[in-house]
Amino acid sequence: MDSGFYAACAGLQAQSQALEVVAHNLANVSTVGFRGDQATFQSLLAVSRPAVPNVLNNVLNSAANNFGVLEGSHMDMTAGNLEATGNPLDVGIEGGGFFAIQTARGIRYTRNGSFQVSSSGILVTTAGDPVFGDPALGAKGVINVPAGPVSIAADGTLSVNGAVAGSIRLVEFAPGTKLTPEGENLFAAPEGSATLAQQSMLRQGALESSNVNAMSSVVTLLGVQRQAEMLQRALSLFDTEFNQIASTNLAKV
Amino acid sequence: MLRALYTAATGMQAQQTNLDTIANNLSNSSTAGFQSRRMQFQDLIYQNVVMPGAAASQQTTVATGLQIGLGARSAASEIIQLQGDLSQTGNPLDLAIEGQGLFQVLLPTGQIAYTRGGAFHQDAQGNVVTAAGNPLQPAVAIPAGATSVTIAADGTVSVTLAGQTAAQQVGSLQLALFPNPGGLNSIGQNLYLATTASGDPAIGTPGGADGLGQIEQGYLEQSNVSVVDEFINMIVAQRSYEASSRVVDAADQMFQLVNQMGK
Repeated sequence: MDSGFYAACAGLQAQSQALEVVAHNLANVSTVGFRGDQATFQSLLAVSRPAVPNVLNNVLNSAANNFGVLEGSHMDMTAGNLEATGNPLDVGIEGGGFFAIQTARGIRYTRNGSFQVSSSGILVTTAGDPVFGDPALGAKGVINVPAGPVSIAADGTLSVNGAVAGSIRLVEFAPGTKLTPEGENLFAAPEGSATLAQQSMLRQGALESSNVNAMSSVVTLLGVQRQAEMLQRALSLFDTEFNQIASTNLAKV
Repeated sequence: MLRALYTAATGMQAQQTNLDTIANNLSNSSTAGFQSRRMQFQDLIYQNVVMPGAAASQQTTVATGLQIGLGARSAASEIIQLQGDLSQTGNPLDLAIEGQGLFQVLLPTGQIAYTRGGAFHQDAQGNVVTAAGNPLQPAVAIPAGATSVTIAADGTVSVTLAGQTAAQQVGSLQLALFPNPGGLNSIGQNLYLATTASGDPAIGTPGGADGLGQIEQGYLEQSNVSVVDEFINMIVAQRSYEASSRVVDAADQMFQLVNQMGK
């Protein structure tokens, strides 16, 4: 069988995975603090790494078998819009920082600043996990919020009736740190990669909307769809024009 | 391919519940003391096709990985605690709370429910009750022949009886404050019940520094629904729903192409 047949097949599979990435982005267009994924493609053979000594890496082979496959999805780290909600426990981040959350699995990071005060009076996420604060102001980094009007300063200091109750810990990651999305708006990061935020600040009464751009996602969607159509055309061309002719006409000779 | 169909469906379902919440908010835009709700969403789990950080060779690791998310779900509908506008009614038993407190109401089941809807009335015995007839707690009764009822900012209820000049105190109102009012359970009729999430209420006299707020007689707190915001949310919900349905379309067409292959 022609290698082009498999190339088109691999391309079609890659496009269908790209569609799944777009579907996930568009499904999360209203998820607070969501970071969209972008699919990147690569060629199957490492022609860009000629230094790698590989018997398969010759010119003829790479021309024939250089299929396009989905390399990976990387997170789009641009900020979403800050939308005013007026809720005193909604906090948006200006800058690239993250909140640290104490989940049962360990510390996780989120951009979703929609917090609540639990029945025992500590600052938690909607899932009930405590928000990590300055350990100097509360045991084990828990932020205790007494009753009364809450105000949160740009540096994370949380005060009630003018008295400081705690400080929301804001962290940043060096560019290129591998953040792994775990669902529920949470990200896992490698141990020790989080540093105290220097360039981010908080805005009380606002939430960061999802950074998925619905318009460009739909454009990507159209691209994926058309690309898949073209690959399917190529597949059927190989199947009908070449193979059929080969199997039926050659046999008649 | 089918994964894209299901992922898009979760997006459509999330927007559907978003629209349900918006519809409830809008239909209660004239309900006195109503507190609107806002839908919150979360991303679902991710399938790791290529784990980020996996070894690409003996020396290098995969920089980004290939993770395919499986969509969104509605996580919570949060009660918005913003103060509604106060509108003057002049009715002596219309009470508004300027603060975070809640009135306590005794249900026929013996449970205490909490409300911000302060449109109270007198029943045949002179008890102060809600429109549904549930008495206010602690109970306050207005004696027959009272010509005027005054409720002070700190909740003291005093009446002037016919033929008398001095007012006499007949009771005092108390308000409840929850550590987590967002965790209250809405049971309709403008009423909330306490849950383990909301915590136990602190009961106190209105007007203190503890955030209960003071009582305004002759005013009603309007619903805190912002109609403009709800309409914006509705447009966003509708367009997001459309976007996810485009994905369903695209996935369906790609699936069709695959099925037609070889014909």
